[in-house]
Amino acid sequence: MNKIFFLAIFICSISFPQEITSTKTDLFSLANTKKFADYLFCQRDYLRAINEYNRYLLKTKSDSIVFKIAFAYSKMEEFQNSINTFQSIPKNSELFLQAKLEILKLLFQSNNFVELRKKITNDSLENKNAQPLLNLSFLFTNDNLPEKNDFCKPFPSEDLNKVKNFYEWKKDPPYKSPVAAGILSAIIPGLGKFYTQKFWDGVWGFISSVGFAYLSYDNFHADHNFRGWLFGGLAVGFYGGNIYGSAASAQIYNAKIQFDFVSEVKNFLERNNYFIPKINFCQ
Amino acid sequence: MRFFIIICLIYSIKIYSQSDWIKWGKANYSYQIKDNFQHRDYSLDYQNPERFVIKSLADTYWLFISDVDGDNCSFNPTCSNFFLQSVEKTNIIQGSLMFFDRFTRDMDILGKVGNYPRVSDGHFFDPPSLYLMNQDSVKYSPPSFVVKNE
Repeated sequence: MNKIFFLAIFICSISFPQEITSTKTDLFSLANTKKFADYLFCQRDYLRAINEYNRYLLKTKSDSIVFKIAFAYSKMEEFQNSINTFQSIPKNSELFLQAKLEILKLLFQSNNFVELRKKITNDSLENKNAQPLLNLSFLFTNDNLPEKNDFCKPFPSEDLNKVKNFYEWKKDPPYKSPVAAGILSAIIPGLGKFYTQKFWDGVWGFISSVGFAYLSYDNFHADHNFRGWLFGGLAVGFYGGNIYGSAASAQIYNAKIQFDFVSEVKNFLERNNYFIPKINFCQ
Repeated sequence: MRFFIIICLIYSIKIYSQSDWIKWGKANYSYQIKDNFQHRDYSLDYQNPERFVIKSLADTYWLFISDVDGDNCSFNPTCSNFFLQSVEKTNIIQGSLMFFDRFTRDMDILGKVGNYPRVSDGHFFDPPSLYLMNQDSVKYSPPSFVVKNE
């Protein structure tokens, strides 16, 4: 029995030779720490990657690692932490310009357009590279837009049509008028909802208003005055509610249009990496 | 046979040993049935006559109809809660108009899907803040969203 047991242990130990040798490897060596951190980074496990990179920085200095930490924070949408880390990259570093551009991207992502414009206009170095970001920031605020040609100038020709469409949208957004929606529903119950593209709401608005109005008329006609007043009251309620709801529906429609526009511009920016050079750490 | 069993045992121990992807912490499962009804507050405000009348009507409706009928309103907040919140946020006339509009939308059995975001329990999310006639209070969420902080 003992022989068999030891034989089994022997076979198993041979089957897992890496476990025997693994004790000899220093898992916390500089190279292994970086390797593991890079692995976590590429797996998008940014929080743990930052921990490992910080462990690495305790032993040695590296601008590229600081850059990666800041980049990981930006991926986690911790904008302020990311900006602070990017700002710690020294001027003599090769990554200094890229870090400055990343800061502009982060300011844009965090909707801090005032700071973004201040930085771009103050610094000629950034001004040269970040003109597309500066122009697109006007799409997210209520400030006066620049001239169309000036607005489109910094963009490459393949994106020009898209940018022109954005500009036109911002200049004249296809909003629906709440007043017009209310008036339409006052003329024909439910028509305002059709105007704001809520078709089924419009149909039910019409049925409820007209249906109760008919019931009221019919009951008055049959000398059922109480029911006549009851249905009449409900008809007035549904009619008024429909007018009110149509105007509110136009506002929701406008919010939807605005939401779609912002999403589209942000997607466009994401696709173009906010018009700053893209660095791929995980090739 | 014994040899085979020992091999299997040792192999199984080695395979599963130090596997940190298996977490041994306590699992916080709750087997309690989730209460889908909103917690009813039947209290009355005697200081404010307008609110007193409205709340009395709502309490009566909840007590004799809604609680008996069950969780049947497809919206969150429910139509009665929507009415109460609307009146609280605006006034009796505007609140009533908002309620009639909501009721019309609630009658619509065909157009709800794809028009409203949902809350985690599947109800359509339609708060009064969207209908206050104030563009700034309209926080649009697309129908594909699941609203977490309802």
